[in-house]
Amino acid sequence: MAIPLIVEDENGLIEQARRGDRNAFGELVSRYYPGVVRIVYRLCGDTGLAEDMAQEAFLRAWLALPAFRPQSSLRNWLYRIAVNATLDVLRRRKDEPLEDQADRMYPDQTTGPETSLIEKERVALLRQAVHSLPEAARSVLVLREYGSLSYQEIASVLDIPVGTVMSRLNYARNRLRELLKDDLLQLENEYA
Amino acid sequence: MHEDMLPLLNAYLDGELHGNRLQELELHLSTCETCRNDLKELRLVSGWLQAAPSPQFMPAGRFASNLVLALPRRRMGEHSTQPGVLAWWLLPAGILAAWFFVQTVFTLTDALTAVQMTGLLGQAARWLNGGQETIWFAAVTSLFGSQVAASQPELSLMNTLNVLGVHLLDGFLWQASIVLLYWSWLSIWWLRRRPHPLLIENVVNG
Repeated sequence: MAIPLIVEDENGLIEQARRGDRNAFGELVSRYYPGVVRIVYRLCGDTGLAEDMAQEAFLRAWLALPAFRPQSSLRNWLYRIAVNATLDVLRRRKDEPLEDQADRMYPDQTTGPETSLIEKERVALLRQAVHSLPEAARSVLVLREYGSLSYQEIASVLDIPVGTVMSRLNYARNRLRELLKDDLLQLENEYA
Repeated sequence: MHEDMLPLLNAYLDGELHGNRLQELELHLSTCETCRNDLKELRLVSGWLQAAPSPQFMPAGRFASNLVLALPRRRMGEHSTQPGVLAWWLLPAGILAAWFFVQTVFTLTDALTAVQMTGLLGQAARWLNGGQETIWFAAVTSLFGSQVAASQPELSLMNTLNVLGVHLLDGFLWQASIVLLYWSWLSIWWLRRRPHPLLIENVVNG
């Protein structure tokens, strides 16, 4: 089924979708899917799960759309739903055996054959370092680095004070700095 | 000292520092090599994270098309036809009507009392005098006779002030109750407007 390519005012699309217009909602999904799936992927590290969670988030959004306040940010609202849905799944997965989680969470999906071995290792190292962070700190880091959200927007998405955003982001970046110290030095030398 | 600067360095890196704090930090950075190195490393971490390659996801158009086909049926308009919802929206009108009614009763009573005190109504509204005596004043007049009580202007003045105070308190309590009811309604309305995650969960699981 093709979604008509109509460039429409977002508020108009939201209002139509609230009234039950599926195509209007489809247009909104097209606009926000890339951002949502990118955030979810950085939270969970699994392409398949990221797409599933993005779908789950948009289904929840469709059902909850009549409760959405048109004057607030749709993007932030979608991010909030997506982050909550993903964290729910990740918490449930904590009960699974560690080997199963590792196979699913850290597959080498982002590098092609042309990428050097060092680069592949570096990407894997970075991904594992991010996933070793506590969920609360990781969520803030992901929304900042991959969602480009301001501190105020992150606070709104996660329903936490701005001060907490600052302290979690500070913790996350410093933890990564400690974990990746050697590689950072090497990277710095490469760029020097 | 440097540990305390780290949250500020992060905020500086993200462009979230403004005004005096920004100037103070820039001044500090110009003199502190440790903080400059910290900032450089934080910038490297951030740059590295953002440069990390992203996998190929399903194209947005295809994802949206598939999703539209899978959208569940939404129970449309159920909230707008329920009688409870209509009553909810009529509640503030009822509260305002109650306030108007109470105000009218108090104003009319005051006006009639004033007219009665001037004697213009004669015996026609004698019942209004019933509210012009407090219990203690009535007890004094019955014990010592109306002439004794009436001969003491201080007693009459205290009685009048007492009656006025009780009257004002009645009016205040009524209005405060109505205002409280209205604010409660307003607060509940505001809370219900927020798209709370729990509400979303309820919609999905319900």
